[in-house]
Amino acid sequence: MADTYANNPEWSDVTPIPLDDGSESGAMPLATIAYPDEYLDATSYLRAVMAANEMSERALKLTENVISMNPAHYTVWIYRARILFALDKDLLEELEWLNGISLKYLKNYQIWSHRQILMASETHFSTLPPKELDFLMEMFAQDSKNYHVWTYRHWLVRRFGLWDLPRELEDVDALLKADVRNNSAWNHRYMLRFGPRADKPDGGMVAAGTGKVPGVHDVVDEDVVDSELEVAKKAILKAPENRSPWWYARGVLRAASRELGEWEEFAGLFVKGEVKSTHAVEWLADVYAKERAEEAVGMLTMLKEKYDPVRKNYWDYRIKMLGQVA
Amino acid sequence: MSLVSGPGRATGTASDQSLHTLKHVDYIKNLDTRKDELEYWLTEHLRLNGVYWGLTALHLLGHPDALSRDETIDFVLSCQRENGGFGAAPGHDAHMLYTVSAVQILATVDAVDELEKRGRGGKQKVGAFIASLQNREDGSFMGDQWGETDTRFLYGALNALSLLGLLDLLDVPKAVTYVQSCENFDGAYGICPGAESHAGQVFTCVGALTIAGRLDLVNKDRLGAWLSERQVDNGGFNGRPEKLVDACYTWWVGSALAMIDRLHWIDGKKLAAFVLQCQDPEAGGFADRPGNMVDVYHTHFGIAGLSLLGFEGLQEVDPVYCMPKSVIARCLGK
Repeated sequence: MADTYANNPEWSDVTPIPLDDGSESGAMPLATIAYPDEYLDATSYLRAVMAANEMSERALKLTENVISMNPAHYTVWIYRARILFALDKDLLEELEWLNGISLKYLKNYQIWSHRQILMASETHFSTLPPKELDFLMEMFAQDSKNYHVWTYRHWLVRRFGLWDLPRELEDVDALLKADVRNNSAWNHRYMLRFGPRADKPDGGMVAAGTGKVPGVHDVVDEDVVDSELEVAKKAILKAPENRSPWWYARGVLRAASRELGEWEEFAGLFVKGEVKSTHAVEWLADVYAKERAEEAVGMLTMLKEKYDPVRKNYWDYRIKMLGQVA
Repeated sequence: MSLVSGPGRATGTASDQSLHTLKHVDYIKNLDTRKDELEYWLTEHLRLNGVYWGLTALHLLGHPDALSRDETIDFVLSCQRENGGFGAAPGHDAHMLYTVSAVQILATVDAVDELEKRGRGGKQKVGAFIASLQNREDGSFMGDQWGETDTRFLYGALNALSLLGLLDLLDVPKAVTYVQSCENFDGAYGICPGAESHAGQVFTCVGALTIAGRLDLVNKDRLGAWLSERQVDNGGFNGRPEKLVDACYTWWVGSALAMIDRLHWIDGKKLAAFVLQCQDPEAGGFADRPGNMVDVYHTHFGIAGLSLLGFEGLQEVDPVYCMPKSVIARCLGK
């Protein structure tokens, strides 16, 4: 063991705390763990400095070392953030370092929680750091549907009030251009355009949890509604069977308290003659449901028998709800 | 319980529609002999979850005694911390996810009273740890003292505290309001307000509302439509639109459908056929997809999913708790 903490003079004043695997309490562990020596050495010193609540440069380095061996070690991240704040470190430098780790461990979520803790500091970040959105696009280049990154980005929008920052919508547009089926990007688009902008309650659909119908706005900018419906239409023309823009259009119309019937003609384009979109068939069924129940049943029956027999019972239920015999 | 993946691969075929129960039992029992592998310590942060997955799968397979009850209890208690919560493994800090697994394991082996006898401060202390993680302003839950929120933690808190009979330690109405704020325009739910709908989070949100007795707040038809759309041509479920299928979504999607009484909206036969192709008929275990390496996580959720579908030979699973129905009946008296 060459470069161990145990034989490093810089650490000679620290008494390492070995792993307590429960065996001394008389409990026979079901799973005694065979750790590599290097990891055991580092974590025994980590426990010691954490127990002493040491806020130092060497402890900071130690956390980096442990993270490099096991980024899923959730406790070490907490400790690292506390040291960074205690020593008043340059958090932009920390972000740079984090960028590398994030690109290496794409599925890890502790990294994103850590980033959020740093970015939440109003003392350090009164405005959005200029390279932040570039880095998120780098992450999306690896995985454009990365759930942690999208959740963080939504949080960032609320943290810095970025709803109308042109860059937000530009990035969404770019990602949808690359993959019009990116449901994550559609969700972000909805939150930018129709998410609540007040600070509280934090963020999902407007009116959620208030007893009113969630997602319905008291007042909307009809121009925004119209232009967003156009965006959805264009996407559907590109890929008619893509679910996301159809859901999106429903959300937009609901936000504006407008009717699905607006799209009767548009949806018809994908049904008349040859069926090019099952979602259009369903849309027409919903439009017809109010006054033309028989036609609605025709649409639902088509889905049940021809296009989506896997969900036969669902379509039967829909038919039954129309008061018709399945 | 080791979380090392492999050694086998899912080589099930469409023609083989049998569940290789004994192979799966052996696979789970032998996981613990894999400690010399590198991946073993890399997955240490999930160990207590792993015990819950393995143990629950064994119970559903009808082999509840395949793991030593005493050793299981000893291991769980060795993960408990001074603050009443449990870490992923001995020496790890307490976290919501492992505390929930600890309670679920103890409930499954009927050993909750061991918390009073040998635990640190009895079940009241465990409950207090969980309750301390609730944000009393917005109702959400953190995983640990550092504040990350996730509807998984909220669900876990309601799950564990209802099993312990200590739900009154929480502000349940606030938790319910928080879940409502996670609903999206497509009718499904995400990890926090505004986050994309995800089948795993739908399970946690619907599960939490079920335990809270507030399923009336769910638009069941719309959510059921979104959930049933998760079934793709090969019979399996994905977790979000346009994502790959994965055997574990059999559980997340299926249980949520079951809770809102709409499991019959999907094709159960096709789904079961897909899940069976995810098993390794030789060495046991399930993978995320046919051809991939097996692991205990997918083994648990694959088996739980099959149980949900009423697959013959399996014990019945409770869709809310993901534990054997008989255990829930004993704990909750229903």
